[in-house]
Amino acid sequence: MSLILTYSLGDDLYGLEIDAIQEITENPVLHYVPRAEGVLIGSINFHGQILAVIDLPTLLGFAGDQRDHRHLVLTSEHRSLVLTTSGVERIVNLEMELLQPPPEEHDRPAVRGVIDFDETTINLLDTDEVIKQLEVIFVE
Amino acid sequence: MRIEISYKFIIGFIVVVVSGILVNLVVPYIEGIEPEFRQVFSILCSLVVGLIIGSVFSRAFAGNIRRLTSAGDRIRRGDLSEDVKVDGNRFPDETSDLAKAMNQFQASLRSLVGDIRSIAFRVAGSSQNLSGTSQEMSASAQEVAKTTDQMSKGAETQAEMVEESTRLFKEVAISIKLVASSAKTVADSADLTLETARSGNDMAGSSLDSIRQVLSEAESSGQQMVNFIAQLQKISKFVEVINGIAQKTNLLALNATIEAARAGEYGHGFAVVAEEIRKLADSTTTSADEITSLVELICKEGEQVQSSMAQVIDEMESGREAADRTNQAFSEITRNAEGTRSKASSIAELAEQQTSSAEQITRAIDEIDRVVSDNAAATEQVSAATQEQSAAMEEMAQSAKELSNMSESMLQIVKQFKLVKDQD
Repeated sequence: MSLILTYSLGDDLYGLEIDAIQEITENPVLHYVPRAEGVLIGSINFHGQILAVIDLPTLLGFAGDQRDHRHLVLTSEHRSLVLTTSGVERIVNLEMELLQPPPEEHDRPAVRGVIDFDETTINLLDTDEVIKQLEVIFVE
Repeated sequence: MRIEISYKFIIGFIVVVVSGILVNLVVPYIEGIEPEFRQVFSILCSLVVGLIIGSVFSRAFAGNIRRLTSAGDRIRRGDLSEDVKVDGNRFPDETSDLAKAMNQFQASLRSLVGDIRSIAFRVAGSSQNLSGTSQEMSASAQEVAKTTDQMSKGAETQAEMVEESTRLFKEVAISIKLVASSAKTVADSADLTLETARSGNDMAGSSLDSIRQVLSEAESSGQQMVNFIAQLQKISKFVEVINGIAQKTNLLALNATIEAARAGEYGHGFAVVAEEIRKLADSTTTSADEITSLVELICKEGEQVQSSMAQVIDEMESGREAADRTNQAFSEITRNAEGTRSKASSIAELAEQQTSSAEQITRAIDEIDRVVSDNAAATEQVSAATQEQSAAMEEMAQSAKELSNMSESMLQIVKQFKLVKDQD
């Protein structure tokens, strides 16, 4: 059994293990980052730490302007990134044994695996893939 | 020297005797005569003298008698142109007297005939004039008769026309009476209209008052509705606050769950509490959302009510205007009906006056009719009289003609007398 925080990106439902989440922060003061572009929409002061805020729907290429005012602050194991979502849903308890690899025709980006829940499918976010894509963008 | 015939005879006898004696005396002295023939000779001489004297004398006498006779005959034939002339002017005798007397008779006859002739001329002229005049008069009388005939006919036509006029005017009088009664009916109707319009006016006024009252009530209701909606909006503010609290609670529950997970087995109970709190927050949010949607619904309905109310107020306003107009219309009707009533009354009055005038006119026309009838009769009488007169005139003309003819024939008769000797 594992606790998963579900959230929406565009019209899709994604999930992230709460072990990877340090805290859900609401309406943080967003600071401007010089030379920032695209997915980096600013930085916040989180308990004295300056953390970068990444617009996840834009990074993963989801349409729609809807952004939740609640951001996910990841743990330091995940570079302490702050991610925006289209909408934070809830925390659910899932059997991780039911996790399946994404099907061949599945074209959603950064998905570690899929799991059926309550007649919908939750895509588990692959944070390593996210970091890899960010590195691609910012190294270039 | 006047010598009567008897003396002339005696003188002749004496001459013959004297001549016999003288011859007797002379004969002896005459040679050649035988004494035996002297007696015979003297007798012969005496006879010769006597024959000569006798013949001269008797010739003169017979000539005078013949002249007288022929003069008498001439006079008998009417020739008065010549005077009777006899010989023997040297020794006038009874024939001269007779001639003189005949001349005197002829002169007086001549003057008589001349007088008669001139009078006859004058009579003829006068009778011709008379005839002409009487013919003219006859013609004039005929003309007059014709004219009076026409007058008579005209008078008849006039009488007919007057009768027609009387009939027509009686119809007019009836029409005027009808107008009068119609005008009275109109006046009565106008009275009724006036009454109705007044009550309508009152009703319109009371309905106007009611509308005004309803309008003010509707306006106060609208105000109350506005207040109500403002109160509802306050409720939705509170609900927003509650919603915010619920969202915060939800966030806190999420974070608490995360913290509890991090605490591992020790945080399990806390995670359960956090889950319950989250559920509470969710149901709060749901309820708040329901309240919000309910408030929105109420607000929407309230707005609808408000707009309906505004519409009602608008309609009320237009109803009020309509009632105002109705009121004005009734006032107008009242005024018009009053005008109509007064006009109809005056029409009725005038019509009554006209009726009396029409009666007077009818009487006058009747009078005219009578006069015209009298005229017609009189004209007919005149016509008859004129015709009689015309006939008399013709008779008179006839008489004048006869008179003229008579004077003409008299002239003819008188012309038979010849007063002057013909020039040729």
